[in-house]
Amino acid sequence: MRNAAILGYGAVPVGIYQRVKDGSDPPLEHELAVRVVLDAVRMAGLRKEDLNGVVVAHPGDHTKQGYFHTFLTAYLGLTSRSTVVQVLGNGMTAGLAFDEGLRLVRGGETDCVVVIAAHFESGTPTADHLNFSIRLTGDVDFQSIFGAVPIAWYAMSARRYMHEHSVSRAQIAEVAVKNRRQAALNPLAQYRTPVTLDEVLAQRMIVEPLGLLEVPGRADGAVALVITSEELAQKSGRPHVLVRSRGFYHEGEHQIPDRHTDMTDYQSIRIATKTALERANIGLDDVDVFQIYAPCTIVEVMATESMGLFPRGKGWAAAADGRSAFDGSRPVNTSGGLLSRGHPPEATPLYDVVEACIQVLGLAGERQVPNARVGMTVSELGNYNAAIAHILEGRP
Amino acid sequence: MSAQSPRMPILKRAGLRPFPPRVSAFTRPFWTTLGEGRLITTACRACGRLTFPPKLVCRGCWSEDYDWRELRPSGVLYSYTRVHVLPRAFVADGLYDFAIVDLADGVRLMCRLLGDPAQFAPDIPVEMVVAMYDDGPLFAARPTG
Ligand SMILES: [Zn+2]
Repeated sequence: MRNAAILGYGAVPVGIYQRVKDGSDPPLEHELAVRVVLDAVRMAGLRKEDLNGVVVAHPGDHTKQGYFHTFLTAYLGLTSRSTVVQVLGNGMTAGLAFDEGLRLVRGGETDCVVVIAAHFESGTPTADHLNFSIRLTGDVDFQSIFGAVPIAWYAMSARRYMHEHSVSRAQIAEVAVKNRRQAALNPLAQYRTPVTLDEVLAQRMIVEPLGLLEVPGRADGAVALVITSEELAQKSGRPHVLVRSRGFYHEGEHQIPDRHTDMTDYQSIRIATKTALERANIGLDDVDVFQIYAPCTIVEVMATESMGLFPRGKGWAAAADGRSAFDGSRPVNTSGGLLSRGHPPEATPLYDVVEACIQVLGLAGERQVPNARVGMTVSELGNYNAAIAHILEGRP
Repeated sequence: MSAQSPRMPILKRAGLRPFPPRVSAFTRPFWTTLGEGRLITTACRACGRLTFPPKLVCRGCWSEDYDWRELRPSGVLYSYTRVHVLPRAFVADGLYDFAIVDLADGVRLMCRLLGDPAQFAPDIPVEMVVAMYDDGPLFAARPTG
């Protein structure tokens, strides 16, 4: 198998695109998607004719345009001899779309594929959005009936983590402060005004014990990547990002298991990241920057502990003491992460790939991790029953 | 069915279940029995594994040979939360609590959590109860005693 590389990317700032002032017209999802594709292809120095293959992250149930992948392919006037496909996998959707693009190139099906995610949900009122979300939370006939929303898993994990490790909500909430500080330096971020710990703690409750700034806000977004063979990327003479490896694990549970398990430990991220490291023939210490799918403060804590970045029960301290900041020893979610860069769920993992590219190419400006060359991205599909990890290496 | 446990208290709740379950020929015994104050699930005849919710195939060994087994209606509170942003179907109900409960018989389930939130804490003992709405039952937990 040959290697694949990222030669171009494009993204609009994460934000609320569908709710606009009276008298102005909101953009449509494909209009943003088209723009980011053009940006990515221009960055790659390629032409329309060079593309052979379109992989689209399923845009989610609040996006009006159906069969978005073929609609977009036609809108762009693209033909394909490899594939045109839409990929769906819960919160991991865009991570799997990225993975599918890599697989097509690695397998020799195409030399150049575009991977696109556009998530538009802000036009849907929150109560209706949640009414749909409860169907995504467990068994609809035995668990959704109680009204669990997806972030409720993380709230319950937070409660349990606090109990087992004698940690306070405030200590975990430092993650929100740290990530907002990083988002302040990221032009693609949705929330860029720094916040204090007191401000985080003063927000209204959303799912106890997590308040408004400890859970993700609602967001729209659009992002595209151009993936080529390593050979084509090298021949271009342009900066590019080599994809070194992947790892995946699904633990065989759907959110709430049927036996007494430890909800504060994510075995899927441990196995997926370990697999990716082994396949890249490197160790955790060789990774300079981590982009981890963490919808809530507590998830960043538990995920980083589970993958071995910090000791069990101690991961919360890394945000407060700066170790997980862009200028710390274990930089995590340098974009601001899901909490502050923003979380348009079906596009989020591709935004994390973009941040990893920006870091390992040395283009992150004020939030640059010094000398970053190797990055890891991780996404998951709900209560971390599964995780997918990729290791990226910058060739600036 | 195996030896009988004490029946669960049946608490009347006004109105309809906010997001009612569907009932199939397979799951009918669960809901009918729940309405009588008993919590049952499937146990594999081949390997003995209990599961929840009930399943028509064993997750462990794929045997399709199962018994309905009554669960003791007691356990401990593993964790819980109160939801403040309400899905459309739950707006009329107002704020609600739900929990993950580890039953004494070894299975974990999610359910409504009733009672005084000031009493809620991880690892406290809870008892299972039936919340009987006008259109049928749901299962719930509350602090014991
Ligand atoms: Zn069995």
